[in-house]
Amino acid sequence: MKELDELHLPDDIRYTDEHEWARITGDIARIGVSDYAQDQLGDIVFVELPAVGDTIARGEVFGTLESVKAVSELYLPLSGEVVAVNTALTDAPELINQDPYAAWIIEVRPTDAGEYDQLLTAAAYLDLLRG
Amino acid sequence: MDEQRKTTPLHPWHVGRSASMACFGGYHMPLWYPAGAKAEHLAVLTAAGLFDTSHMALLSLHGPGARTLLQRCCCRDLERCLGKARGPLVPGRSVYTMFLDERGFVIDDAIVSQCADADYTVVVNASMGAAVAAHLAAHNREGARIVDWTDRLGKMDLQGPRAPRILARVLKEAERVFAGLVTFSFKGSFAPEALPAATPAQLSDGTPVLVSRTGYTGEVGFELFVDRAHTASLWEQLLAAGADDGLLPCGLAARDSLRAGAGLPLSHQDIGPWLFARNPWLFVLPRDEAGGFTKEFVGAAALVADGDHHHTLAFAGFDPRKVAAGEQSRVMDPDGRELGRVLTCATDMAIDRVDGRIVSVTTPIESGRPTGFTPRGLCCGFVRVSEPLPAGAIVHLAEGRRTLKVEIRDEIRPDRTARQSLTRFLP
Repeated sequence: MKELDELHLPDDIRYTDEHEWARITGDIARIGVSDYAQDQLGDIVFVELPAVGDTIARGEVFGTLESVKAVSELYLPLSGEVVAVNTALTDAPELINQDPYAAWIIEVRPTDAGEYDQLLTAAAYLDLLRG
Repeated sequence: MDEQRKTTPLHPWHVGRSASMACFGGYHMPLWYPAGAKAEHLAVLTAAGLFDTSHMALLSLHGPGARTLLQRCCCRDLERCLGKARGPLVPGRSVYTMFLDERGFVIDDAIVSQCADADYTVVVNASMGAAVAAHLAAHNREGARIVDWTDRLGKMDLQGPRAPRILARVLKEAERVFAGLVTFSFKGSFAPEALPAATPAQLSDGTPVLVSRTGYTGEVGFELFVDRAHTASLWEQLLAAGADDGLLPCGLAARDSLRAGAGLPLSHQDIGPWLFARNPWLFVLPRDEAGGFTKEFVGAAALVADGDHHHTLAFAGFDPRKVAAGEQSRVMDPDGRELGRVLTCATDMAIDRVDGRIVSVTTPIESGRPTGFTPRGLCCGFVRVSEPLPAGAIVHLAEGRRTLKVEIRDEIRPDRTARQSLTRFLP
């Protein structure tokens, strides 16, 4: 298990207290899980993804991660329409363990740009993890 | 640190190697190391894995009445247990058995070994030493001496096809130790003065060691016992000896997924405080040809009375997804009728379905393993249901929003190596 100072928490994305991250590029947000989440879960062996076109509200479940330890639900950081899912994870769910920021899970088109600003910065997320 | 939490002599090693840790059976134990549970699980099937099992308990029984006491307290008939000929237990041999209470409920499962004419060991689960010792003491009309070695012992399991060659590198006279070392036999002792060994065994540095051809993975390997003071030394010696053979230290997650795929029960989860009947492990009962029992033992009357008609059955799914075992999940038939509960649900990461048939990374190519086989893993485990279901029957496991289709099975992971000859795995 990583110590908190060993976690990789990029500054250019925002986090949730459920350990997802969001990165906005243009009018699309990529969503994934944090280094802390993948480290806590251990090997991820299966990813359940939503369908492209689904409209999901912030805080609702958009999929699950199956790890050797548990089944974890994924909560959407930003309300919006799912415009893409990372199908590479279907055959290689371990990509999330290898690099949780390159291995994005879904892309959404946010319906409320203001929601992004309410997410946690890397510093605020690290404070949350420190308890 | 929680004062109730016990540790093994390897605890500093686990923490120093950044293992993910959790409490199990009262001990603070590694779940997995940085390689991850999947790599550890696969290492045991394709190379070798080393497990810290010093949390397990060991009792010894001594005296002319020890065998009679064991015959009364465990269900295996020690006079009819070895091989197809059902020969008696003899020094150097071991058997898997259960300790039942008068209700026919499982107190714990165990491996009973005979060291000498009147000396036996009983290996039980973490934190169960005192309970099984108390059970034996309560039925000890013969005055057998019972000793709990748990806190004086170091134990580790070396498992996988490369385990024999790795162990050979740290043993004195390995060829002699391995000669005739069939499954469920052992050589040596961790305390030769107190527990005489039928055949001695030592590490290269002279340390006494008990080498047992047993394990909890379904694969070829050994359980190794030394005096607690030598635990870290043996652990380091084995890791160094296996470094070029892909040996990985393995945690409890891989131990659980390997044993589930091998169809082995976890005590107090798959067997426990309910009637020991209608399950995959009835081979431990001393049945005679007429369906009766060949001996008297504690719990026998309750088994004959048969007051519980639930069935414990193995299953395997169709992908790696799991449900949580226990109260929050249910077993249902395809029409949604509730049948029972889930005892164990783990993912065996070395298997997958190929044209409907389960194939393992160890399945020979000529037996149907496709070239380039990269399994995603299948969920598997045990359910406890209210009616008999044949192998091949489909049931659904439900937990919260998730419903998984699984198949009742006689066997889960095929082509296991535990019972194969050691010589197959030596260079």
